[in-house]
Amino acid sequence: MRKLLVSLFPAACAVWLAGCGTDAHYVNASGNQVVTTVGEVNIQDFANAADAMTRSLIDREINTGDLRSGAPGDKALLAISLIKNETGEQFDTDLLVKKIRVALLQTGKVYATTTGGFGGPEDPLAAANQSNSRRPDYTLSGKIIESRTQSGNLRQSAFVFQLSLTSAANGIAVWEDEKTIVKQGTRPAVGF
Amino acid sequence: MKKLFALLCTLPALAGCMSSVNTTEPLQPSASPQAVVDKRVITDPGLDNAAQVTGVYSSTGPQGFLKVELRVQNQTHARQAFSYRFAWMDQNGMTIDLPTATAIPVTLEGRETTALVAMAPTPLAKDFRVTFFPAK
Repeated sequence: MRKLLVSLFPAACAVWLAGCGTDAHYVNASGNQVVTTVGEVNIQDFANAADAMTRSLIDREINTGDLRSGAPGDKALLAISLIKNETGEQFDTDLLVKKIRVALLQTGKVYATTTGGFGGPEDPLAAANQSNSRRPDYTLSGKIIESRTQSGNLRQSAFVFQLSLTSAANGIAVWEDEKTIVKQGTRPAVGF
Repeated sequence: MKKLFALLCTLPALAGCMSSVNTTEPLQPSASPQAVVDKRVITDPGLDNAAQVTGVYSSTGPQGFLKVELRVQNQTHARQAFSYRFAWMDQNGMTIDLPTATAIPVTLEGRETTALVAMAPTPLAKDFRVTFFPAK
């Protein structure tokens, strides 16, 4: 009997540990159930930064009617320039930039080009078949910076999102903004 | 004696939870924003106490974008965290899908007031709804 119990013990442990797990399930990407970690830029941080940047751009440039188009009677054309990831983490900056582009297109006040941009065209086929190209009126550039610190068990990560909108005609930055997201958490006393 | 000792031990702990702010502002503000008459559905009184909406204001810019500001105050004397999310509706009352929609986290010290500002994503957005979430 004792031998049987001993032999069943690992299996019982495995069942018990499996019982502690949570079944995979979907959560609302725009809700507050998404996972938050200290040392990484989470999906909600990109959305939060994109929301702040878009709000600022609409408020200060689009809603005021300050964005000028080089083509009379047409909307201003925006191209995406270099967005540097200066954090210690690898991610696609489109997690931020695409949200901003979609939101800006949604305003109905600007166009975005997919055939011109830093690092080549986003749509090579459209670029190859383009009969007449229009020069962008504005370029969007920026940087994502990380600053980490620790005090005792408390860890803090600050992610700074910096964006600039530059007039392509004269190189003047017509809009700039910065959004800082700070996250804190304690390092577990035991474990990984 | 035991009671006094217990009280002395509890006081610093309670003081640690308290974190309220002092504020100063003009008695007669020179600018007065356009107030919006709002409707509230409160299902969590605790959350309403942590993030009580004290005023809703709106303005429309030259290009027709609606700007909304909610003044929110933490009614408690302790630090409170919550998040909020704006939703925008067109002239037919239909929700406009947004790529940047997210629950934005906010932390307020005791009795602190803050302004939650949002810009309509398009001039077609005519109405809005704000949802508050408790901190995770």
